[in-house]
Formats: sequence, C-alpha cells, structure tokens
Amino acid sequence: MSATDATDATATPAVHAAPVATTHRPPRAGLGSCLRWEVRKLRAQLRTRAVLAAAVILPIPVVVVIHGQARPPKDTLFGRFATENGFALALLVLGFAAQWALPLLTAVVAGDIFASEDQHGTWKTVLTRSADRGRLFWAKTIAACGFTTLVLVLLAASTIIAGVLVVGHQPLTGLTGQTIPPRTALELVCASWASMLPPMLAFTCLALLLSVWSRNSAVGIAAPVVIGMVMQLVGALGGVEAIRPFLLSTPSEAWHGLLTSPRFTGPLVEGSLACAAWAVVCLVTAFLILRRRDITGG
Amino acid sequence: MDPNDTGLAVDARGVTKTFGSLRAVDDISVQVAAGEVYGVLGPNGAGKTTFLRMLFGLIRPDSGTISVFGRTWERDGIATLDGVAGFIESPKFYPYLTGRQNLEGLSLLDAADRPGRLAEVVELVDLTDRADHKVGGYSYGMRQRLGVAASLLRDPRLLVLDEPANGLDPAGIRDMRALVKRLADSGLTVLLSSHHMDEVEEICDNVTIMRRGTVAFHGTIQELRSMAPDPGYALATTADDRALELAEGDHRVTVTRDPDDRSSGLVVTGTQDAVSAYVAAIVRHGIQLLAFTPTRTPLEALFFMLTDTGGARGAAAADDAGNDTDDEGEAA
Repeated sequence: MSATDATDATATPAVHAAPVATTHRPPRAGLGSCLRWEVRKLRAQLRTRAVLAAAVILPIPVVVVIHGQARPPKDTLFGRFATENGFALALLVLGFAAQWALPLLTAVVAGDIFASEDQHGTWKTVLTRSADRGRLFWAKTIAACGFTTLVLVLLAASTIIAGVLVVGHQPLTGLTGQTIPPRTALELVCASWASMLPPMLAFTCLALLLSVWSRNSAVGIAAPVVIGMVMQLVGALGGVEAIRPFLLSTPSEAWHGLLTSPRFTGPLVEGSLACAAWAVVCLVTAFLILRRRDITGG
Repeated sequence: MDPNDTGLAVDARGVTKTFGSLRAVDDISVQVAAGEVYGVLGPNGAGKTTFLRMLFGLIRPDSGTISVFGRTWERDGIATLDGVAGFIESPKFYPYLTGRQNLEGLSLLDAADRPGRLAEVVELVDLTDRADHKVGGYSYGMRQRLGVAASLLRDPRLLVLDEPANGLDPAGIRDMRALVKRLADSGLTVLLSSHHMDEVEEICDNVTIMRRGTVAFHGTIQELRSMAPDPGYALATTADDRALELAEGDHRVTVTRDPDDRSSGLVVTGTQDAVSAYVAAIVRHGIQLLAFTPTRTPLEALFFMLTDTGGARGAAAADDAGNDTDDEGEAA
C-alpha cells in the first residue's frame, strides 16, 4: 500500500468486519471446489502441459523412426511385424512404455502434487481456509488419477492413430500365430492399452504416498520409476512365483492374453485386484500420514 | 447466537506442545475477548508461532484445549475456523499463479461466492496494479499485503497476524502498521503476534508476553506500563567524571558508566523531570553535552526483563534459539 493509502482511510474501501456469531454457518468448500482448485493449479504448471503435449507428440516420431528401420526389432514382442503393421507397432510401443515411461509420466504430477505444497510452503495457506485435510487429500488424489487417465488416453490414441496412418492397418498376427482382422485388431489394441490403466493408477497412488511421506518432489517423481524397474527385475528372476502376482509390473503384461487364441483374461482380473490392493494400501497410508502430520514448515 | 459462543474469540487453556525433547509451548492459557486487539509478544523461539499454528489446527497440542468462538478442533473440525483468518509467519502463495489467481483459488476453498469482494480487498492493500502479475515476481512486502488480502477475503471476525511487519523496510512497516490499525479500528478482533514492543503498544489493548514457551506476563498495556522501569538515556559529555560527581548529590537520578563503553559515556536513569533537572545542572556547571539519547523505551526495557533476553545482544541470542526451535518443529 502507498503511504497515502495507508494513512487515508477514506481513500480505500471500507473494511468489512463480519457480524457477530449467529446460527448461520459459512458454507464449506466441497470436494468439487477443492478439485477445481487443484485442476486450475495443474493447468497453470508448465510441467503438466509439457507432459500432455509429449504424450500427444512423441509417439509420432517414434512410429516414423521404427517404420523407417530396415531391420525390424525381432527380439521384442510384436517387433517382428512392427515395420509392416500399424497395430503391431502400437503394441510394441505399449510394451516399451509400460516398462518405465508410463510410471514416469504418471509420477510427474502424482509425485509432486503433495510435495509441492511443502516446497512452496503453502500447506498453511490452504489449511487455514474452509477446506479440511480430507477434502484436500481426495481432491489431489482425484486430480492425479484424472491426469494419469488423460495421459494414458492421449498416449494410446496418438500411438494407435500414428501407427495406423503411417504403417497401415493390415490384419495382425497374434501371439499364437492366428490372424486377427483389422477391426478386431483395433479393438484388441485399444483394450491392451486400456488394460494399463489399473497398474498406472496403482503407480499413481504409490507416487502420491511417496509425495506425502517424503515431502520431496524429486523422491515422489523418481522413486516410483525406480520401484517399477526393481519390480520388473524381481519379476524376471526365477523362484519368485509366490510374490510375482503382487508386483505392479505383472499386470503391465496382462494384456498379452488378449492377443492369443484362445484368449485368457485371468491375469487381467488378478492384476486389477493386485493394483486395487496397492492403491488402497498406499492411499490409506498417505491419508493417515497427512491427517496426523503437524504442519510446522512454510 | 451460536450456543457454543462464550463471548471469547480465543479461549486457550493449559496448552502444551512438545517437539522431541523441546517443550515449545508449556501449559499456556490465553483468553481473547471478542472485539479486542490482543498482542502476543516474545522473542523468536518463545512459542508464539507454535501457539498460533495450534489455533489454526496446523499443529495438534499434546494437552490442553483451544476454542475459537466456542468451537474446538476436536468437536467441530474445520468449522473451528469459521470467521477466522490470518497468516502464520510470512504468507506463502503459488509462485506460478498471479496474485488474483491465488486469491480466486483461496475463494474456492472458502466456498465464497461474492463477486467484487476480491477486487475490493486487492484495492484495500494497494495491489490492484500488480494483481495480474505472477506472485513469483512479488517483493516480500507485496506478499505480506497479498496475505492480508487473502485473510480479508474470508470476512473474518478474528484476524490473526503473525509478525506482519517482519522483513519489511521502514516504509513497509509503517504502512503495514497503519493497515492493521485501521482493521482493528473497524471492529475486528485482532490477535497480533510480534517481537516488537512498540508495534504491540501502539494498537493492542491486552498483551501476553511469552518466554521460552511459557507466559511471562499477561495483562493490559496500562498494567504493563505501570511495571515499566524509569527510562534510560545514554549521555556523553566533555567531562564525564565531573558529571558523575554532580549526580552523587542528586538522589532522584542514577548515573553509571556505560558498561558497553568503558572509556567514556554514561547511562542516566530516572523520571523524565529528574533527568531534565540533572542535565540542566550539568550545563550550568559548564560541562558541554556531546550526546544525549534514550537507550530504550521503558516498555522495551520491561520486555527484555520479562523475556530475559538482555537487550540487543540477548535478542540476537534468542533469535538463534528461535531458529533452533523452528528446526526442531520441522524435524518433528
């Protein structure tokens, strides 16, 4: 304020003191309001927009480069047909993305959404309004899960469209050698990408937990990727059959059953249950940590 | 009227908070009547901010109760903050959003839908021209003012300000104090935390002085003034020894050598009339005055006595202790 303004009360609007206590209580911020606030913040962040743009744009040069290869990557799943079949190429990209790209893209928001409040010291700003910790927690969780879903949809759509347009939509050869007509192949490729949603949401919840627990964005973003890689490594070892169903890397491969003849969906169901268990454990733990925490920083 | 409303804006009783081995707040009780301007004073690390964080529900006390307009966190949850606004330490915002976007977002969290109020509070704190700039480019003073604007958005009955002038330049301090005074004059209950005696003395009706997590004094400003020692003055003359001799015959004043300056300089203590008479006597005896300045106001002296910080050097030591306290709290 200027000195003039500060000393001349008539130059500024009157200060409105609220009336004394009455039985009327001010409205509470609902989950919708908190969610709108989280979405506004995400939209304003360059990082969020960059990830969404990357999900749309990056598959295009990847598809073009693979299609231009003289020798197809035969040692990878669907790699043999990737240079001559757009559906096979989309599945090749899915297999690669599931290893680390999807957990990373997911964690960019989920691993930061709580920790950034610590980084900016804004917990005390938002927790001294009319929204309690529970609503803020669920608003952030829903925003992060929504972002994850959006990233998956954009990445899948961009990859499939680019594959079909650049390489073509010839009949697809399945994992058991069967020929799949183009229309069915498109449905199965879409379903395969969609089957990544449960593990991605589970990784999102893991990133949320790490974000709440560590209060550090770098940990929240990088740790889920590292954990995902470790799980893949463990899953590839022998003698771990007992724990393999509980690894988040296992559901990431469950879509293979959709491309065999006959199809089998058992791993998809089991994987979804494992992902749900991971999500519940991570979210309950994160919620309890946040709820019981003393906000001393900022 | 709210059935829980006791007429007290804040009623804290026996509140204790410990971080590890550090007892940040130790069994303190504070009552703030609705409509009054209340000061919480103390050096850094005294426990003021921890107490205010507990009031806002950011920290849970280990024991004791805090009710705000008759509501408690245990019973009423977030409703405890109905009619309460303010900021703890320096207000923090999202640097990638503009000032206006920050305020709009906080309005969402208040479920407040009052078109025009946002522009009103922005104008009140004189941020209209910068409201559409990103907060990341704001100066410290502008963020303080945005913090006040964010608080006023809630139309509070109780405004809690934790060292609002901290970190501001002299002009900023003057303007912030004028704004707080104007808000207090508008009928708000104001709970003001500070480590500046003059700031609290200027606008507060009642005051609690905290020291190492405990209450060292509680009462009105008038009661505090009545306890204050005589004012002290630093005196330098062309003949300090003769000036000291002159004081020996005057029992109304106490004159000692300045403990901080052994070679020259005196400290004169006494009522204003007695000190004036003593200085006139010095001049009559042909001794020239080189300097004559107040060392500290009586309330400042009392503050240092009550908080046991021993003036500037003690205050610096207390700052260090305060930093330790904050670190402990964060670690916890």
